[in-house]
Amino acid sequence: MTEVSIEKLTKSYGNARAVNAISMKIAEGEFISLLGPSGCGKTTTLKMIAGFEDVTEGAIRFDGQDVVNTPAEKRDIGMVFQNYALFPHMTVEQNLAFGLEMRKVPKPQMRERIAKVLDMVQLKGYEARYPRQLSGGQQQRVALGRALVIEPKILLLDEPLANLDAKLREEMRVFIRDLQRRVGITTVYVTHDQAEAMTMSDRVVVMFGGRIAQIGSPTDIYERPENHEVAEFVGQVNLVQAKVESVGEGTATVTSPLGDFTLPTKISVKPGNMVSLALRPEAIELSKATEGQPAATVLASYYSGALMDYRLKLDNGDELHAQTFPVNRFAEGDRVALHAPAERFWLVGVSK
Amino acid sequence: MSRPFLTGYCLLIYAFLLAPILVVVGASFNAGAFLTFPPQGLSFRWYITFFNNEVFMRAIRTSLWVAFVTMIISGVIGTMAALFHVLHARRSKDVVRIAMLAPLLLPEVLTAISLLFFVYAIGIGTQNMVGMIIGHVLITLPFVFINVSASLESFDPSWDMAARSLGAPKLVRFRRIMLPMIKSGVIGGCLFAFIISFDIFTISFMLKGVGTSTLPIQLFDYLRTNFTPEAAAVSTVSIVLTLTVVIISEKVLGLRIHRF
Amino acid sequence: MSPGKTKGIGPYLLIAPAGLLLAVFLVLPYLNIGVMSFRVPGQGTPYGEGFTLVNYARFFADSFYIWQVVNTLWIGFLTTAICLVIGFPVAWQLTRPNMRFRGLAYGLVLSPLLVGIVIRSYGWTILLGNNGLINRTLTNMGLIDSPLPLMYNALGIIIALVHVFLPFMILPIMNGIQGIDPSLEAAARSLGASRTTAFRRIVLPLSMPGIQAGCILVFVLSLSAYVTPSLIGGLKVKTMAVTVVDALIDTFQWPFGSALALMLSVTGAVIVVIFGRMTRMKWKVA
Ligand SMILES: Nc1ncnc2c1ncn2[C@@H]1O[C@H](COP(=O)(O)OP(=O)(O)OP(=O)(O)O)[C@@H](O)[C@H]1O
Ligand SMILES: [Mg+2]
Repeated sequence: MTEVSIEKLTKSYGNARAVNAISMKIAEGEFISLLGPSGCGKTTTLKMIAGFEDVTEGAIRFDGQDVVNTPAEKRDIGMVFQNYALFPHMTVEQNLAFGLEMRKVPKPQMRERIAKVLDMVQLKGYEARYPRQLSGGQQQRVALGRALVIEPKILLLDEPLANLDAKLREEMRVFIRDLQRRVGITTVYVTHDQAEAMTMSDRVVVMFGGRIAQIGSPTDIYERPENHEVAEFVGQVNLVQAKVESVGEGTATVTSPLGDFTLPTKISVKPGNMVSLALRPEAIELSKATEGQPAATVLASYYSGALMDYRLKLDNGDELHAQTFPVNRFAEGDRVALHAPAERFWLVGVSK
Repeated sequence: MSRPFLTGYCLLIYAFLLAPILVVVGASFNAGAFLTFPPQGLSFRWYITFFNNEVFMRAIRTSLWVAFVTMIISGVIGTMAALFHVLHARRSKDVVRIAMLAPLLLPEVLTAISLLFFVYAIGIGTQNMVGMIIGHVLITLPFVFINVSASLESFDPSWDMAARSLGAPKLVRFRRIMLPMIKSGVIGGCLFAFIISFDIFTISFMLKGVGTSTLPIQLFDYLRTNFTPEAAAVSTVSIVLTLTVVIISEKVLGLRIHRF
Repeated sequence: MSPGKTKGIGPYLLIAPAGLLLAVFLVLPYLNIGVMSFRVPGQGTPYGEGFTLVNYARFFADSFYIWQVVNTLWIGFLTTAICLVIGFPVAWQLTRPNMRFRGLAYGLVLSPLLVGIVIRSYGWTILLGNNGLINRTLTNMGLIDSPLPLMYNALGIIIALVHVFLPFMILPIMNGIQGIDPSLEAAARSLGASRTTAFRRIVLPLSMPGIQAGCILVFVLSLSAYVTPSLIGGLKVKTMAVTVVDALIDTFQWPFGSALALMLSVTGAVIVVIFGRMTRMKWKVA
């Protein structure tokens, strides 16, 4: 097991910085996801860890040892590619054996290890197949097996599920996560799918434009995003105008159309400032309008099976998006009362 | 154009394309002393004459030898250039491509003449086959380059990265991953180079040394003064040789040769 | 994208042999022939001492050579045009998705390429000669009294050249048409275009690069063709390439031969460039 530490890692292409001075520590056996929109530098970061991309500046340490000048083939990493990159002219068994051959593992031991891994990725009996004779999910598992059979220091995965259909993707999420837990290998997982990052990772690194926007547990990222970009990237979010009334020790008291709240804040505000009050759609509960509760009018409702989506209009004209279980249904034009626990609100930067 | 009309039209064109070839093959079995129609019966006599004609037999051996040497040299140089072009060239990509295809785009006559003067200027001369083989390599190089490049284009760089991550050093990656993947392109390019070289005329004509006639030249010389069906027999054997190479490559090796 | 990204000179060793070969045995010879065309004609040797413009002067002074260039260009032009007209439908048909016997037809198109140019021209002499298959058949059928002049003239040369170079027209056009997304034609049809309109407005413009490549290839090849004109044209009709080669091989007039060859090539190149400009497509080689 290996601990990875990255310091001020930078990659420039000409004047453009694809990765801009990012730092993070990845603990032994931790599953960490790099999450961010297309072009934010996830793949570049992963390739630098793997050794496929030169580092412009900064350090990458495996267990304290700088590997920046170690070529990829000597870094002892397991990598899973988006298109799997299975060798088309080799059978499943030969694909798995390749890395072991490079390590000069003796034949009997090799067979044992391959059998063990095939068992792990549930592909017993497929040894003699060629990649083109396998389904997408099976190829995916071969790729995983090929990376794991060499018992690498770290496992790197670049959008490994992007080519699978929705159902298989969910299955493989669980499969990879369970496997990683069992093997206990330090893992870096690249994805632009927030649900994937949330369900699988111990911690999520959210990246924008080559920089780290936030590192934290999925709960942190989702429920306490540090800015509205992160908040919007990892889920839907309502932003409601609020006015700061008073400021306390790391807290602020605000008034808003949804009520008055005293909330912890990481941003510095002064009384009289306008800020945004953020709230996830699913934190909102709806009931029949009653006196004394903040109320809204239903603009539209959408049924999506498990949940109801509502577009609501506050009396001051602001729109809100709410997501509830379809217990009480409301129709267009209904007046509804809004309920949301105070701890589901947070403050983000000064609103426009 | 309606479908049946188009089909008929195309059949005519195919007939046009085949006609002179069929005529040559047909004429080679003519029993008479001259090319007459209708033929005066069927016979193999012109094949026997041909096989006993040391001049033609030597020309065939020369042609095969030149084609073989050309194929090896072109194969190696062209493959290396294609590897550079697809895997390493960045800004120079277009320049490399144009340069590698240049022998195909320049008029062969001009290339032949230039080369003739040049081999004299640098003292190689035409005493041996060096100049001729250089010319053949120039002409066949683009074909190897095109075929190998095409097979390299379908080489997924992540295969190489995967092999690297599994610990394979450079040479192992080339031998175990890259080479098997581009094998068909290399073999196809080489066989095509062989066929092309076997048929090259102008370059050989200008650069041939004394007593180093290739088959096309010998045939050409012969045709300027003779009209016996022996030339047809020679041609037919040459066609069969080429066809054999093509059939071996496409049917036995299952290759698809890229001509362009 | 460079897998196994290597620094230093390693990759350049790959291109070095080809680069060296082309530089030494293509670029230098072409420069050399340029120089040669300014050399003084030799007496008993291929060329003499010093430099002169006399070779070019001789070319421009003699309308015989100028006419021969014009004639050669004309033959090249007709060959190209005929190749295009008869080649396009074949290329078109070969790219139809539901075509039967495609493999066979494709093989037929390629077959001339696999048969040496001497043999193909020889085949045409058998067909076109005064005693050739065509004239014999027509005479035997009583349709003609004296043989039609099919050989030893421009007609025969053009027929044979069209045959020799037709594949070089068909293949690039095929490549061009194949590169067109079939759904484009379908889209045009869905927008109300008839089959003919869809062809004219969508397929034809998009296959222009292929047509252009094919035309340039065939034109350049016919200008420099030696075997076919020399076997079919005999001593009566000579194209420039034949004159040049004869000047060099038979009479050893190296400087003058070079000047002739360059004049033909430069004229050809100028025409190709003008053609490229006119068809307003990017220079694209197959
Ligand atoms: N070889 C290169 N040359 C120049 N710029 C590059 C190169 N490779 C990547 N970039 C740039 O670096 C930035 C980050 O690219 P990267 O591939 O890491 O993005 P990503 O986060 O993986 O995106 P995606 O989700 O689309 O895969 C992009 O803006 C990209 O255009
Ligand atoms: Mg990426």
